[in-house]
Amino acid sequence: MKSYRLTETLKKFLIYAVLIIFAFVMIFPFLYMLTTSFKLPKDTFRYPPRLLPRDALTMEVAGFDDPLPLYYVTVDGREEQFVLIESNIRTGVYADPNNPDVTVELPVSEVEPRGGFTNQEAITVAGEEQKLWDVLVNGEIVPMIQVSQTALGRFADPNDLSREVLQNVRLSQPVEELSAHPQNYNEVVDLQGMDRSLSNTALVTILVVSGQLITSILGGYAFARLRFPGRDKLFVVYLGTIMIPFVVLITPLYQLMVTIGWVDKLAALIVPWIFTAYGTFLMRQFFITIPKEIEEAALIDGASRLEILLRIFIPASTPALATLATFTFLYAWNSFFWPLVVINTGNVENHVLTLSLNVLRGRASDSPNLILAGAAIAILPPMIIFIFGQRFFVESATSSGVKG
Amino acid sequence: MTAATVGSREKQSPESGVDLWLRLVMIWHVILGLGSLGGIAYVWAGADLADWVKILVSVALGLTAVASIVAVNDINGRKHRGRTISLAVNYLGFLVAFFGSLHRIGVFTGIDSLADSFLQGLPFLILVFAGFFIGTLTDRYQKPATQRALKQTSKAMMIVAGIAFLLAVGIHNGILVLLGKLTNPVILLMVVVTAVFGLMLWAMWRQPSAEAMNATNADNEMLSGYLFLSPNLLGFLFFFAGPLLLSLYVSFTNWDAFGTKDWVGLANYGRIVNIDVARLNTITQLASEAIDVTVYDELTRFEIFGKSYIVGAQDKLFWLSLRNTLTFVLLSVPLSVIPALFLSNLLNSKIAGMKFFRAVYFLPSVAAVVGIALVWQWLFNATIGYINYFITVMVDFLNSVGGSFFDPQIRWLSDSNTALLAVVIVAAWQWMGFNTVLFLAGLQNIPRSLYEAATVDGANSWQQFWKVTLPLLAPTTFFVITTTTIQAMQIFEQVFILIPTNPAGPNNSTLTLVLYLYQKGFQRFEQGYASAIAWVLFVIIFGATLFQFQRQRASGSSYDA
Amino acid sequence: MSKRFSLLFVLMLALGLLLVACGGETTETAVEPTTAPAEVAAPTEAPAAEPAMEEVTLRWRTRPDNQAEIDVYQSVSDELSSTLEGVNLEYEAGGSETSSYQDVLKTELGAGTAPDVFWIPGTDIADFATRGLIMNLRDMATATTGYTDADFYPGPMYHLTFNPETGNTGETLWGLPRDVSTFALYINLDLLAESGAPDPRELAANGEWNWDSFIEVATAINNLGDDIYGYGQNAWWGPYGYWINAAGGGFFNEDRTACALDTAESLAGLEFEQRIYQEFNVAVPYGEDSEPPFLAGKVGMFQNGRWATPGTRSSANFNWDVVELPDGPAGPSNWLFWGAYVVNANTQHPEEAWKLVQALTTADVQGKIASLGANVPSRVSQAALDSFLTYTPPANNQAFLNGLANNPATEGPLWAGNWPEFDAVMGPAVAAVLNGEMTIDDYAASICNEANKVFNP
Repeated sequence: MKSYRLTETLKKFLIYAVLIIFAFVMIFPFLYMLTTSFKLPKDTFRYPPRLLPRDALTMEVAGFDDPLPLYYVTVDGREEQFVLIESNIRTGVYADPNNPDVTVELPVSEVEPRGGFTNQEAITVAGEEQKLWDVLVNGEIVPMIQVSQTALGRFADPNDLSREVLQNVRLSQPVEELSAHPQNYNEVVDLQGMDRSLSNTALVTILVVSGQLITSILGGYAFARLRFPGRDKLFVVYLGTIMIPFVVLITPLYQLMVTIGWVDKLAALIVPWIFTAYGTFLMRQFFITIPKEIEEAALIDGASRLEILLRIFIPASTPALATLATFTFLYAWNSFFWPLVVINTGNVENHVLTLSLNVLRGRASDSPNLILAGAAIAILPPMIIFIFGQRFFVESATSSGVKG
Repeated sequence: MTAATVGSREKQSPESGVDLWLRLVMIWHVILGLGSLGGIAYVWAGADLADWVKILVSVALGLTAVASIVAVNDINGRKHRGRTISLAVNYLGFLVAFFGSLHRIGVFTGIDSLADSFLQGLPFLILVFAGFFIGTLTDRYQKPATQRALKQTSKAMMIVAGIAFLLAVGIHNGILVLLGKLTNPVILLMVVVTAVFGLMLWAMWRQPSAEAMNATNADNEMLSGYLFLSPNLLGFLFFFAGPLLLSLYVSFTNWDAFGTKDWVGLANYGRIVNIDVARLNTITQLASEAIDVTVYDELTRFEIFGKSYIVGAQDKLFWLSLRNTLTFVLLSVPLSVIPALFLSNLLNSKIAGMKFFRAVYFLPSVAAVVGIALVWQWLFNATIGYINYFITVMVDFLNSVGGSFFDPQIRWLSDSNTALLAVVIVAAWQWMGFNTVLFLAGLQNIPRSLYEAATVDGANSWQQFWKVTLPLLAPTTFFVITTTTIQAMQIFEQVFILIPTNPAGPNNSTLTLVLYLYQKGFQRFEQGYASAIAWVLFVIIFGATLFQFQRQRASGSSYDA
Repeated sequence: MSKRFSLLFVLMLALGLLLVACGGETTETAVEPTTAPAEVAAPTEAPAAEPAMEEVTLRWRTRPDNQAEIDVYQSVSDELSSTLEGVNLEYEAGGSETSSYQDVLKTELGAGTAPDVFWIPGTDIADFATRGLIMNLRDMATATTGYTDADFYPGPMYHLTFNPETGNTGETLWGLPRDVSTFALYINLDLLAESGAPDPRELAANGEWNWDSFIEVATAINNLGDDIYGYGQNAWWGPYGYWINAAGGGFFNEDRTACALDTAESLAGLEFEQRIYQEFNVAVPYGEDSEPPFLAGKVGMFQNGRWATPGTRSSANFNWDVVELPDGPAGPSNWLFWGAYVVNANTQHPEEAWKLVQALTTADVQGKIASLGANVPSRVSQAALDSFLTYTPPANNQAFLNGLANNPATEGPLWAGNWPEFDAVMGPAVAAVLNGEMTIDDYAASICNEANKVFNP
């Protein structure tokens, strides 16, 4: 019995482990997007990458006009915060010709040519003639050869500038603090008119969703409940067109927009998407499951077809309406290909969010913080709606699956 | 017992007004018929229109004229067919005049300015929804007084917020402009014509007319049916069926969007499928010695039974894009379906927090592909991106515990071996959660009792999965696989955004069919050729779906048996 | 909630929105003129209402890379709007390079919604001109006093005055060049100092800056660490074109009517570049965008044009400068990149458009745009070049001008064929070579067979 319980616990643990790993994978890109959108550009190019936005700290030091950057420096085995007062100091790596493993790093300005510049002494090491330099090691002048050159930075204690350390700047750890830069969002709005795009997208989405609901309900009702010649044949035609990929239509539909003067107009993003075979099919499938008796009773009471639709059918088909509204919402909000083709004016007035993002990624190609702030503006609104209407979304997706 | 007869009982005597209205409708049809004929004459005499427009307009006007004559005759004889025809003609006329007026007034293009002020109105619109929401709360309270109060508040709130919304987005401005427009004689005429069509429509539709025209129940139902379907059907014909036929036509031309549009027959399709297979003496032989390199580009070469062959294609890029698309489908569909099936089974095992995980997995599917692809583009960055960083960290960790692994430093988006895989990962990541939710719904429909029975029979959970879950989940699986496949076949946005500067990717490794179509149609402006590619894509998708349908049928019947 | 109320409410709301939409045309009238003539049965009132001194509205567009550029173009537009008589200007910031600026323009030209004047890159001139999308300005230019082709660099003017029907240059005028730019190597001075390698700026001054010393410097920097690269470039025709040109090769034959990618010189240049990636192994992997790692301080030398300067100014966290490209076996080499303002073939106001094109290419306006740091003025003028040198950082602006003087190959359209198609054949093949997926021999055997198909028969 005990071992059974143990395996159960182990199983539960495993299940949760897997679920949490997948949840992490699903969440991480969004997390990355959000934190990066609050960074400074320089912070985004750092490696190894770090999730949270940080600013490098600087410090005002007497005697210097600009604030100096702070770095962690190890002095006598203790970590301290020093300012960088000079970088790119040409430095030589010097070695004892007799004992090449012993090397010293010193600025080239601090060594003297042995015997003077005009008459510098040299020594032959491994068949190559090398110049000799006077290098001060532990208070003692030692003749050494230069093995290589590099550059170091001069770091000093901000409180006592005489305490100096020379070390590689690139490999030094800057002192940083967490800080967020929400002004990235303002910048994106200014740069790309993201507020206008948001407004356009919201309007397009609202109109497409409501328009499509209306035509689909009316059409679905007609297919489900009203007998007229040609109904069933027409329905088969509708069904058949669901599978046709949109790209087949793109060229002639674009030309139609040219003919009626809708190129670059939001109307081109709205009106053609109000009429869909898929929505009609979905509503029809749901309406035929509603019992006929209620409807017949209402007819006898003198109700009109429209009244029946409004009073009986629509209230009874909330799940199907939710499904359709959800799909249409996501489609309208996120669509890219058709807007890319039909809304292409240089002025951003009629851009929807996806188009603005497409332009933004070129304009701000060296500032991922701005690009991802833009992405956040496009991604977050549906996500917030989703979080609040979670049940609604998920269940609607579910009902589509069952129906399909 | 029907609505019509019930209605007639209430309004007893047949009014003399009906006859007057019917006479009016007949006169209108005579005018309309003559006007249409006049219109045809005008179109051919003086109008500056393209020939195909002339033909189209003439056919429409001719039909109107004929229909009007028939309608007058039938109405005179009180045949119901006359009413149907009259209604159809006036309805279509009304729509044309109405939308023509709107177009002329500039309502459709005016949506742009609506978007301009829409953001100012948005808070009020949210208040409208809030008001509606308050109204829905009434069911929760028992007291009639509370209910009434809530209802009133809700109504008042909606009305006030609604008016505020309209004012905020600039209705006053719109009304002023509209009034100004109405002074334009053309617009005024169109509005009047719209009104006349509307009036005639109403005159014929109303109950007394229906009775006078001897309408049966079936007649009324038919008319309602067409009326209800009409918004959908007309829009569908105009924005879908029409362009669809046009697309087929365009695929037989060399249209370039700037004027050239010659019929080229099957040439576009011929260019797509034109390939040449030739024997090679050795596998390394020069292509120019085997195939006509002024026509064909080398696509691939292979060895079979010790003999070497070379395949050349006139449009190499089409075949590459087809290969990439199929590879993408074969990778992305299993990658987004199998983990989803697995996860949904875990979620279905009655654990706490199921709804939380379900929501988290669903999250990527509500996000815009464009935004997501931008995020992943930085994650995939080979030098500073997170994915390679995670790999490095993992490799370092494994090496520190005694492994000896090599840090691959994958160049995700710039290596022709991995670029398509990167796209697959993004797509699978986004689709997986949605599929999980679908599977979960399917799983929850499987009766518990079946599992209990299986447990009694001694089946372990592995056997249960294969013997109970999978067969009963078959319809969901079919739906998931079919929709994912169709989606995957049309992959475009992910590639377009994810692969920077050149979406075709390193060595054309991410050139997909739809991307190629876009390049041909809207970058090189070979729109005729692009249309042909679109139809080929349709045939492929149709074939794939049909194939899955057949398999689903076959497996379904075997399970039943 | 009664259904009737809801229905009524929604209907009223919809009607209200419809009315709001009626207000749309008032703001749109300014943009309308270009499309209006296309409409059937245009009302007769419009021409009658036009008084004698009515200002004509011209729309113009460029491809700005950032907000600063948009602001400068906007202010130029506003200024010209008030100084140019009878012209009212509307500036549009076109999409960026990745959002297919030129393709969008073509789409709009097909639909009749394109602006009157717009900028396009040099490579696209032929495509636009042969499709009849842009206007030949030669007659108006001849009638303009004070205008002469010689004011601009001859490289761009060769193509801008090319007549595709006769095959001669100097006969047409498709537009005027806005700007020119050359390549330079952006150097991370910190990495350079740390590596202890010789300074390329000094080498260049001494005439010792060549492919050998380039490899020496790149290797020294590359050896600083696993995540440090000596050299980086981006994957498009410009960078690899330099290596091909500097070895004495080129994309096309002399009169640009056939592919020359398989000549011995072209192959030698590409082979050397292949060695950079495959043998010396000192570069950011080919195809990876080198800009992020360069800005992250991990690339020693980054080959890019003047347009990379503004981004480097704002994002580089290290000391940097520029140096000219190293001399190849065939001597110094570079590209002359350029773009031009052209006029929509269907504009309603050609005279005003030509005036605008001239106004946009004056020394004054070019100076303003060049001061942003993204390009070099296209007028041949010592004053312009002198003021260009003051637009620092980088300190060594002279490197770009040396590039201009060093026999650069002119970025050029393909009058005898289709440049985008040529690029689409060449790009993947070169990438395959540089990535080691294809041998030079295989490349040599097939590249021109495929590329020659894009030339007109």
